[in-house]
Amino acid sequence: MNPLDDGALHAAALAGLPGMTPVRLAKLLDGFQPVVAWQAVRAGTHPADPRRRFSRPARSTELGSIRASYEGSGVRALLPEAAAYPSMLVGDPGAPAVLFALGDPTVLEGRPRVAIVGTRSATHYGRQVASELAGDLAADGVVVVSGLARGIDGAAHAGALRAVSTNAAPPVAVVGTGLDVVYPASNGALWQEVATQGAIFSESALGTQPHPGVFPARNRIIAALSDVVVVVESHLRGGSLYTAEAAARRSIPVCAVPGSVRSRASEGTNALLVDGCTPVRDATDVLVAISLVRSGSAEGSDPGLTLDAPVDSASPSVSPSASPSSPVPPSRGAGLRTPIVNSPPTAAPASCVASRSHRARSLANVLMSGAERTVWEALDDTPTAFETILIRTDMSVASVAEVCDRLVERGLIHSGAGWWSRN
Amino acid sequence: MIAAIPSAVLIGVDGIHVSVEVHVSNGLPGFTVVGLPDAAVRESRDRVRAALLSSGLSWPLRRVTVNLAPSGMRKGGAGLDLPIAIGVLVASGELAPHHVDGFAFVGELGLDGSLRGVPGTVVLAEVLGRYTLVVPPECGPEARLVGGADIRTSTNLGFLVDQLSGGRPWIDEARTDAPGTDAPRTIGDTAADTAANKEKETWSCRPAGNTARSAIDLSDVRGQRLARRALEVAAAGGHHLLLVGPPGSGKTMLAARLPGLLPDLDRSTALEVTRIHSVAGQLLPPSGLVVRPPFRAPHHGVSPVAMIGGGTSWMRPGEISLAHGGVLFLDEMGEFSTVVLDALRQPLEEGHVRVSRARGSTTFPAQFVLVGAMNPCPCGEGGAPGTCRCSEAARERYARRLSAPLLDRFDIAIRVDRPEVDELVGGSPTEGSSVVAGRVAGARHRALGRGVMVNAELAGSLLDEVAPMTRAASSLIERQIRSGHLSARGLHRVHRLARTVADLDDAGSTVEEVHVHEALLLRSRRDLLLGS
Repeated sequence: MNPLDDGALHAAALAGLPGMTPVRLAKLLDGFQPVVAWQAVRAGTHPADPRRRFSRPARSTELGSIRASYEGSGVRALLPEAAAYPSMLVGDPGAPAVLFALGDPTVLEGRPRVAIVGTRSATHYGRQVASELAGDLAADGVVVVSGLARGIDGAAHAGALRAVSTNAAPPVAVVGTGLDVVYPASNGALWQEVATQGAIFSESALGTQPHPGVFPARNRIIAALSDVVVVVESHLRGGSLYTAEAAARRSIPVCAVPGSVRSRASEGTNALLVDGCTPVRDATDVLVAISLVRSGSAEGSDPGLTLDAPVDSASPSVSPSASPSSPVPPSRGAGLRTPIVNSPPTAAPASCVASRSHRARSLANVLMSGAERTVWEALDDTPTAFETILIRTDMSVASVAEVCDRLVERGLIHSGAGWWSRN
Repeated sequence: MIAAIPSAVLIGVDGIHVSVEVHVSNGLPGFTVVGLPDAAVRESRDRVRAALLSSGLSWPLRRVTVNLAPSGMRKGGAGLDLPIAIGVLVASGELAPHHVDGFAFVGELGLDGSLRGVPGTVVLAEVLGRYTLVVPPECGPEARLVGGADIRTSTNLGFLVDQLSGGRPWIDEARTDAPGTDAPRTIGDTAADTAANKEKETWSCRPAGNTARSAIDLSDVRGQRLARRALEVAAAGGHHLLLVGPPGSGKTMLAARLPGLLPDLDRSTALEVTRIHSVAGQLLPPSGLVVRPPFRAPHHGVSPVAMIGGGTSWMRPGEISLAHGGVLFLDEMGEFSTVVLDALRQPLEEGHVRVSRARGSTTFPAQFVLVGAMNPCPCGEGGAPGTCRCSEAARERYARRLSAPLLDRFDIAIRVDRPEVDELVGGSPTEGSSVVAGRVAGARHRALGRGVMVNAELAGSLLDEVAPMTRAASSLIERQIRSGHLSARGLHRVHRLARTVADLDDAGSTVEEVHVHEALLLRSRRDLLLGS
């Protein structure tokens, strides 16, 4: 139970009016106390609502039932002056006038934050990179911020939740729907877990259904909450590029995970790299990008991260001059400007975070039989059809089936939906 | 005077015996038909009268009453024209009663007195087996398929009257029959069974049959080794098969080649199939007997009644029954209405369908190999994960068109992709249908030894007995279940498939590890539609 104060209640009531958008809400609450704004809207005298479009719905709104629904669902409505309102949003040009939160909003404070975003129709490669990256970052005490969508977002959250370490950071999600509308429904369990361990934010009132407008808007909050945005996989016009663009506008470094040049799911990220974003191979690359140094080098020990040089949105070293009209944010290599490490990212210290699985793979590679090696050689990180494996190996259906099953059992390759790829 | 002429009409795929009673009495000239005739039968009054007059026979200028017994059952079709005409002739004294003694008649009359064929002659001939049955010439081969029936044909009502009264010989069948009937057959050939068997042999190696086979041969398919193997396994084990792939990947081409891999129908199935096709008015092969497995590919706009069977006055078999013994191919399966798709579930389970209407119900056989083809997503281009531009919701909606219980009926599901260019232009020649059909026949023969037609019918409880697994194979299955890759439901499916794969490889009685691997590859799984 978290009693709703009057201001929050009225702000929530305003946010729940049909046809309300973040921009309209911000105008209604600009310079007005929520209670005053609410009364003015009801009376039809609010200067930001000259056509009185919200007057009639406001008059038929029952404040008592709104209070009951918020207090019953455990969703908090945070006004910018509230103590729990994320500090990095204060002063942001696109800061939501009211932010709804489930879980503990303060997990964001005092920790480095990285947004891991990407396409919903991700490849196995993308999901796995997102999950590994999020897991390693969370284990190092970095809050992973994402959108709880299908594909990359969900994989990032799931990876972050799996992190085991003494100072593992909980994940934070920013969603487009109301906090009582789980979308996509298949992420229900994940949603629950993020809310319990970390926090879920939304600027939509309870009951807001998914519609195309809400997702780009929430992407700006994801960007604003983060120190660095990592795009794992994105199509050429993917929604995650909005997040990258919003980040570039706030001078927040944007990094991208390189993908196969033949994979359509990596077209957007590869384009970001061409535009000068920092490539990310593993968690160390991300840590370098947020100018973090690790005090301990031994894997598994408490790395004791310190926020050495917090990336400030007002940092003088970065000019917020990104053109908002460009489809691909000309981030001008925001991530390349890494204040601590002067050497280019390729010379970054050898990663001790993400190399675990690499090592396991190369070890298994040695122990392969001839047929296994042939099939392994026929595969790569991009999804390959069974028919293609047959053509590349010139083996029989039965023997390829057998070898593939064996490689899957050993965790070397992965199959799904009739596609095979290396793990 | 009264005459009673035996005939028969169709109810569903069954014939019922009808006695056509004709009474000619003094009174005002008139012609009434009673006994629940439908429109076609009522119209026969005009056809019969015109046919009699144009055949040079006289029409009684008296009161004619026709009763179709049993009178409580609705009768349809034009096949009663001929018995009514004969009845009128006998009742009015044109034809002596002893001339038609022991005869039954089925046929439609033209206004000029010619005899025309009616659908379902096989079934009608079966009902009238104890009579000498007179049918129109085009129905002769069909009618002769059923054992025991003594069949005669005639082309014209005038001739028929002469033939019945002994003034004209019955036509020698061999000369008028469709070319291709092997031996001249004498009337009253009681060894109809052996004759039909002989006919079956000649039919299967008949040129017509050969061209039909070679026109769509498996050797036309380039590459697609996985799909070819899936077809072979489906044919051998009677497993339902789902092909998922983008447009132009050859799904239709592959499916059309499945019947060519199936062996000829056995005698009883062939008769059953012939009955259904005959009743539905389908074109039958010249010999009359359908011995090649049929291939039906209804368009996705098909109505539930057209798919399942039914109709108001006359129960007609649907596509699933026309595919009995063969292959039912549903292209663009996601576009079929969900009502139609869900209606398939019960027949798929039971092998027949019971169609009930207010006026009665009937059971049609419906045992077929179902081949479904589907795009991976609405845009059709859903190739590798990450390439499709359809929204997740749209993909899920599309996949949900196939309900889980229906998807569950498919034993095999594979992805089919467009062949690579090298395979199309170069590519080594591939096996033809006849080679594969040989292996399929061998595998089916083994299934017969287990008391089932095909392995797909094997009960789950029987599997351990007829398909014992080697230690390595069962440990593989166990590992798959433990790792969550295989469900308990999928277990039987994989076991059955492995049995078929082993049969095809001529592997003996035990199922080995390699067969299980292949079964695991081929088995159907929902993620094929949902993407990874």
